[in-house]
Amino acid sequence: MRCFLALLLMISFALNAADEIYDFDDPGQRALFLTLSESLRCPKCQNQSIAGSNALVAQDMKRKVYQLLQQGYTEQEIIDYMKQRYGDFVYYQPPLNPLTLLLWMGPALFVLLVLGILIRRRNKPAVQADSAMLAKAEKWLEEDK
Amino acid sequence: MKKLSLFLLPLLLFLLVSVFLLQGLFSDPTERKSSLLNRGVPDFSLPDVMNDSIVYGPEVFDNQITLLNVWGTWCVTCAYELPFLTQLREQGVRIVGLYYEQDLDPDFGAKSLRQIRLDIDKKLGQLGNPYAFNIFDQQRSLSLDLGVTGAPETFLIGPQGKVLLHHIGDVNERVWQQKFESVYQRLSGQALNQQESVR
Repeated sequence: MRCFLALLLMISFALNAADEIYDFDDPGQRALFLTLSESLRCPKCQNQSIAGSNALVAQDMKRKVYQLLQQGYTEQEIIDYMKQRYGDFVYYQPPLNPLTLLLWMGPALFVLLVLGILIRRRNKPAVQADSAMLAKAEKWLEEDK
Repeated sequence: MKKLSLFLLPLLLFLLVSVFLLQGLFSDPTERKSSLLNRGVPDFSLPDVMNDSIVYGPEVFDNQITLLNVWGTWCVTCAYELPFLTQLREQGVRIVGLYYEQDLDPDFGAKSLRQIRLDIDKKLGQLGNPYAFNIFDQQRSLSLDLGVTGAPETFLIGPQGKVLLHHIGDVNERVWQQKFESVYQRLSGQALNQQESVR
């Protein structure tokens, strides 16, 4: 039990330590820092935000985000600052350009396609059964008896 | 007709997905276009790693074709490319090092400058020294401005100080031939022509 408590204490210390590196006077700025470090992608790692990565470049970027916030940069300005250096890749939300058009329009196109198919189905007249076909079916039924 | 399309449609979808996935097999996930391409080297003012009193700025790239190689003694892959880069230097390619230290965390600071210099001397003594000089990126600020993701990375910088190529990973013979050589030859051809027209 004592061992467990000690472990728990150590873990909570570790969590605190990670928190303490960046001090903010303004809780709003702190929240912005956290959102930004979650929405910026670490360029070295495959699909990790800079908040989740311990790569050197992610640490450097976090530090830079902190410094820029202290200098009064807005959220968009910081995103642009990083994009200018690491490209669109660095921000999790891809921009709308010819290259990503399909990505953005894909879901809408899909919905339109399905709607189109549904409407065509509905407008199609029910299967027409003329008398000759009916007679044939009758005959088969008779034969099966 | 309906049967045929029922057969063809899944086949077509399958082929499309296959081609898409096949492409993925050969694509390099670390490959991405540098956003600095065709733009000038960002402004900086950084010391020589061996001598604090020498300070470099972007003008070190003026009127020369330069390979800017990001490296550190702690970086294993960098050690692999040092011999090849040294060969390039012997062929007359100007290579400038952008040195950064992993242990030199601005928040904590661990390795002394003296130790860093000793390590560099040792490493270059063992594997060859390709560098005309080494810019010391103490806070990794220039690295950040250049969009460096780690080491090794190499930039080809044109005589107007423009970034023309950005390669992530080591430069070996294959990379040099496939990626760098043609651009380098074209540039040095242009430089020669200009010199002759001045005469």
